[in-house]
Amino acid sequence: MIIEIIKMAFQALVSSKVRSFLSMLGIIIGVCTVIVVFAIGQGAEKDIADQYKNLSVNTIMVMGSMGGGMPGQAATSSKISEDDAEAILDKSSYITTAAAIVQTSATVIYDDAESSPSLIGVNEAFFDISNLNIEYGRIFTEDENTESSSLIILGSTAAEDLFGTASMSVIGEVVTINNKKLQIIGIMEENDSSSTMLDYDSSVFVPYNYAKEKLMSGGGRENVRIMALVDDVDNIDLAIDEVTDILRAEHGLSSWDDDDFSVMDAGSMVEAAQSSASTITMLLTLVAIVVLIVSGIGIMNVMFVTVAERIKEIGIAKAIGGTQQEILGQFLSESVMLSMIGGILGVITGQVALMIIDQMNLISVVSSFEGIAIGFGFSVVVGIFFGFYPALKASRLDPVDALRSE
Amino acid sequence: MENKDLIIKLEDVHKSYYLANGEEIPVLRGLNLEVRRGEFAAIMGESGGGKTTLLNIIGCLHPLSSGRYFFDGEDIGEVRDDFTLAFIRNKKIGFVFQQFNLLSRMTALNNVCLPAVYAGMDRSEREEKATKILESVGLGERIFHKPTELSGGQQQRVAIARSLMNEPDILLADEPTGALDSKSGHEIMQIFLDLKKRGKTILMVTHTPEVAKYADRIIYVRDGKIVDNDYKLKRSDDY
Repeated sequence: MIIEIIKMAFQALVSSKVRSFLSMLGIIIGVCTVIVVFAIGQGAEKDIADQYKNLSVNTIMVMGSMGGGMPGQAATSSKISEDDAEAILDKSSYITTAAAIVQTSATVIYDDAESSPSLIGVNEAFFDISNLNIEYGRIFTEDENTESSSLIILGSTAAEDLFGTASMSVIGEVVTINNKKLQIIGIMEENDSSSTMLDYDSSVFVPYNYAKEKLMSGGGRENVRIMALVDDVDNIDLAIDEVTDILRAEHGLSSWDDDDFSVMDAGSMVEAAQSSASTITMLLTLVAIVVLIVSGIGIMNVMFVTVAERIKEIGIAKAIGGTQQEILGQFLSESVMLSMIGGILGVITGQVALMIIDQMNLISVVSSFEGIAIGFGFSVVVGIFFGFYPALKASRLDPVDALRSE
Repeated sequence: MENKDLIIKLEDVHKSYYLANGEEIPVLRGLNLEVRRGEFAAIMGESGGGKTTLLNIIGCLHPLSSGRYFFDGEDIGEVRDDFTLAFIRNKKIGFVFQQFNLLSRMTALNNVCLPAVYAGMDRSEREEKATKILESVGLGERIFHKPTELSGGQQQRVAIARSLMNEPDILLADEPTGALDSKSGHEIMQIFLDLKKRGKTILMVTHTPEVAKYADRIIYVRDGKIVDNDYKLKRSDDY
């Protein structure tokens, strides 16, 4: 009996294909949106995970911030420098390693080849702190850094971009940056980081002093960051307090001045980034749910029209022995079927959309089962919820009135 | 009262409709009626006299306001339960309407099958049965045609086939020839006579004497009452 009712509902849908499709469109778009939104959210979370994977949990980072000086005084740019890194290393009892890094972008030329990787000025300690390993050649020595030698180390992708290969043969070649010649002494091991902020694979590394003195117009002050390792994870909070005190003293801030820098630890950075990513996911999910509700109202509208158009049919069904339950069932299965087929098409459209987004490399997306399940599940719920009232109305029609209608 | 011969017995049946402002419009005013098993009866009367309301009450499409309704000896006047009423309409009663009331998106065969679908009959069984009935009303060649591809007379024959599908105790026909030309009308009446010969009880509303004369007897309704249980057509009835 149930199967018969579902069959009749299906026939009714097929007999008005255009309308059925139009009413499904809202559901298709809604489900597609949910899936894409979820994939973007998951992609963002993965990006964040990638971005911070080079930071061990006992890393802390010092970044310059606006502020400092007297209240009312114009904010000055950050005052973080390599001296601060030395001060932290010397004076803090918890910090085992500290390195100042400076970041900019640069055009690197070799023969006819040219690429624009991000350029990071680092000292030898940086590679340790960031868990980066050398694949070919070697890293800078302390002396080379102090003397700001014209040396460069390539990330694996950066090497491929420039030479078409990341191999030993590249070592010893000379590239040009800002008309200055630098000799390649090493290529880093591939790091698999697909992050957008700290993509070490497609970066190039030069000695910190060289970057500051020779390659950066403004002395690179505003782009300086300090990365430091704390001896033990349990000491991170103590280390942050201590580093803050040291830097305030170094910068000569009086007790009423705000910090002109901020100290963060890797764990809380990851947490903060993840929570902002999940906030975005939630927001987008809400948008998608609104889309689904709107499409549900669309379905309800269509079902009301369907009921109104078929009042006579309902009268006939009652006259020849259809019960209220059977008529309710038939109209309800029509709307559930509409939204289920819409849901399936939405899942397909969503997956295709994800493939296209992935191909275009605009934003990272990760297709997730949750997205599909929630999108599809919601579409069925919408069908039942918004289909119920019109179906109930249909089932309660007076048979004589229904038969009399044209 | 327990007369096994009676398929329908109405006792002092009243039926009123109510307007939106609460005003009562009485349609049936203390009507008594008996229909014997196997007879072919016609109901005649002026428009607005309550013929169709009477048929709708007998067909369990409308509840009665007061009075008693015995169907096959059973008092069903108080029954309001949808399942029971739907069951009676499905199994005990066959309806034939003036406007045929077929589903236009379904073939003749599927239209005829519909009551059996609600009755829960298997697909193959009901299709076989529906085909036989369609053949018996002369539509064996057209079982896969849709209503729009059939003439009025043919559509009415499909509707009759549908009403016979669950082998009801009684056929209720409301102006079955009202939408047909007189030739098709006579063909439909031949089918009714044939059904009567095979033992079916038929109760038919009509205002056409030419059609009414096919019936065994004519029941005349006026002002919500039966004024003649065996009305004889006169010259003035113009047939």
